[in-house]
Amino acid sequence: MKNFDVSTLAKMIDHTELKSNSGEKKIKNLCDEAKQYGFISVCVNPANVEFVTKQLEGSDVLVCSVVGFPLGMNTTEIKALEAKKAVAQGASEIDMVINVGAMRDGKHDFIREDIRQVVQASAPAHVKVILETCYLTDEEIVKSCELAVEAGAHFVKTSTGFGAFGSFEHHVRLMRKTVGPDIGVKASGGVSNFKDAMRMVDAGATRLGTSAGIVIMEGAKLFKYAPDAWLEPEIPCHTCPARSASISKLPKALYQYYTNMCLKCDYREKYNKFYE
Amino acid sequence: MNGWMNKIVKVDLSSGKQTIVSISEDVRRKFIGGRGLGLKLYTDLCSANIDALGEENAIVFSTGPLTGIIQTAGRYQVTTRSPLTNAICNSSSGGFFGAILKKTGLDALIITGKSSKPVYLEITDDSINIKDAKHIWGKNTHETMKTLKSNSSSNVSIACIGPAGENLVPYASIMNDKDRAAGRGGVGAVMGSKNLKAITANGKKEIQVDNPEKLKTMISTINTLIDKNPVTGKSLQLLGTSVLVNVVNAHGMYPTKNFQRGVFNDAEGTSGEKIAETILQGRSACFKCPIACGRKTKTSNREGEGPEYETVWAFGAQLGISDLETITEANYTCNELGLDTITAGSTIGCAMELYEKGAYPNKMEWGDSSNLVKYVEDIAYRRGVGKDLALGSKKLAEKYGRPELAMQVKGMELPAYDPRGVQGQALSYATSNRGGCHMQGYLISPEILGSPVFMDRYSIEGKAEIVALFQDISAAVDSLVLCRFLQFAISIDTFKDILNVVTGFDYSDVELLEVGTRIYNLERKYNAEAGLSRKDDMLPSRFMEEELSEGASRNRVVQLDEMLDRYYKLRGWDENGIPTAETLKSLGI
Repeated sequence: MKNFDVSTLAKMIDHTELKSNSGEKKIKNLCDEAKQYGFISVCVNPANVEFVTKQLEGSDVLVCSVVGFPLGMNTTEIKALEAKKAVAQGASEIDMVINVGAMRDGKHDFIREDIRQVVQASAPAHVKVILETCYLTDEEIVKSCELAVEAGAHFVKTSTGFGAFGSFEHHVRLMRKTVGPDIGVKASGGVSNFKDAMRMVDAGATRLGTSAGIVIMEGAKLFKYAPDAWLEPEIPCHTCPARSASISKLPKALYQYYTNMCLKCDYREKYNKFYE
Repeated sequence: MNGWMNKIVKVDLSSGKQTIVSISEDVRRKFIGGRGLGLKLYTDLCSANIDALGEENAIVFSTGPLTGIIQTAGRYQVTTRSPLTNAICNSSSGGFFGAILKKTGLDALIITGKSSKPVYLEITDDSINIKDAKHIWGKNTHETMKTLKSNSSSNVSIACIGPAGENLVPYASIMNDKDRAAGRGGVGAVMGSKNLKAITANGKKEIQVDNPEKLKTMISTINTLIDKNPVTGKSLQLLGTSVLVNVVNAHGMYPTKNFQRGVFNDAEGTSGEKIAETILQGRSACFKCPIACGRKTKTSNREGEGPEYETVWAFGAQLGISDLETITEANYTCNELGLDTITAGSTIGCAMELYEKGAYPNKMEWGDSSNLVKYVEDIAYRRGVGKDLALGSKKLAEKYGRPELAMQVKGMELPAYDPRGVQGQALSYATSNRGGCHMQGYLISPEILGSPVFMDRYSIEGKAEIVALFQDISAAVDSLVLCRFLQFAISIDTFKDILNVVTGFDYSDVELLEVGTRIYNLERKYNAEAGLSRKDDMLPSRFMEEELSEGASRNRVVQLDEMLDRYYKLRGWDENGIPTAETLKSLGI
């Protein structure tokens, strides 16, 4: 990670604004910032795609639209239609959310088909498949990645940013290992500073979804003055999904899954009892 | 000359003589303005063996090339020898005074000597007049500003001292624009020692900018960066600096009862959230500042500004007091009488622990807010219990035989973060050139707030490097004379871009950072000549020997020696913390 080139960060960032209360002024600023900082894309809700396409006209910043967002619980037909419309309006990247409940139920054929139809409807745009990793076990994450690859997706992506927690190095590493080198991995949700960004890239992410792109780029300018010091490792518990598992936000089974992960971890005795 | 006004004036109050002071282009480039320029001018004039309150001490008011131009740049820096620490002291204040002082045509004002009677300086575009201050001597800061304003145009901005400064309390502040303070280190007492009550500035001169078009873009970029940063774009705007109360308390490092505990059970009742629910009347902003962290407040009896986070703590948790109204009124009183709230509160806390331990005769008990405002008044007028409390905690604790109970570094009281919960901040406290302060290297930023990234707050690895980096960046930004809060959102590279757009110079980021390094080393050199060394880069023994017993920072002590060795080596200082000849030469000192 110490050899990481900060200057390549901008071209990995999907400059993102997905809140329901974001009006045109905010979206226009988002586009202006993306052009100024050279981010790879602007990622917005479908209702903003046409507007964003106009704002980015003449620039090399791509338009990215989410689909079936943020719950992934629309029918496959609606997701495909939503994707098709977004591409027609100028989107060249589609970030779709899988039906997480179906995945948890083990309905693998349904998930594969859900993704395949969106990939088909989106062509020639690239499709990133949002797994919402916070609601899946490691085994389910691996299976979701395999299904996404089988369905022709171009990327797998960790999170919507609206779930119980965002992306963790642990999940990104698992996803990269599963999909291999030819499929993209996007880390999104909770990537809020340059160390987060570098940690995700180190784990295998090739794309970062964040609304903190500017903060990350400005902070990254400090990296060169003391690279070794900035990259001093944090204690593993700080970057472990088990530590973010909240009983109020996760289903009981998943909360127990993460609690068990923590209980079995060798670091627990060494670190966790002292760090709050 | 773009950015600078190219004029520095020395006023000798003993003779009344005024002299234009010239500096070379090289000195300007190496020290820029504000803290750097003030330091250079000061150390050229004053040796390290003078009395801080003597006629031979000088006090420098300096602005920077960005002053009066961009967001937050209404500030000024004061440089002198501190009567509290006997070390070099720079103290900075927000508001508008710096911008208006610069618009009179001055980059810096040096004041030497001592007037035979109370005076104030009236500075306009054309002249500096020494005027009789008989009618305002003895008045508090608000009354002083009101009186002087009543005889001037509406554009005038005033910096003045209150009774604390007149009475040479070694932690008296200089107040400007009503409630903005150059608070730390006793700069107000230095003004008082010269019989200088106030400075009025009324400037309207234009400040030239090298590239006005690019400047517009830069100003817009700064606004974006401020808005996008979670600290400057949200927390400080909504809840002011007291947003930190609950955050720091949750980390178990909110100093309580003179740093005996790290958790204050009543923190919620004095938090930024509680201020917003109860006494808040509105926000206030310094020069062109979009953050507007200032709080306009009102109690049952009075109204004013603040309290800030450090003050909420100093008159609250530090004393075991949770009565927000009384804390707020003690803050108002400090502003009016011209006192540093941190040292005032912390010294009272020291007295309370001395009393608790049976070492102090005057009954002062934890949590008793009934006499708090009276204590503050007594300090400013050096009467009753205030005679002792006006000494500051170091001399107070020494006087009563328990020096270890003063929570200070180099004689300056520590602010509101227990260093046992933040190893980097501990090192920053210890090595701060002006004493126990958080402003010279705010490691809370990465260790607690995650800005620019999170660092493990308990680890000592990499902390020497980041402390030195933050101290140098802060010194560089202080030479531009901008608000410290901008450092959350803006990198030194971007500060360099702004500086170049305004001045037309071609600073590189490395060169600007080196200005900070130069400042830090020249300050250290002055302190070394004053007799300070490794023994003074020391925290109270409590932090190395007593673990906190509860909260999220429990079972921790500061590992200072290990960090200090690494830090000195990195700095190019000897094992005593003194810059080597080679280091000074490499920095052109």
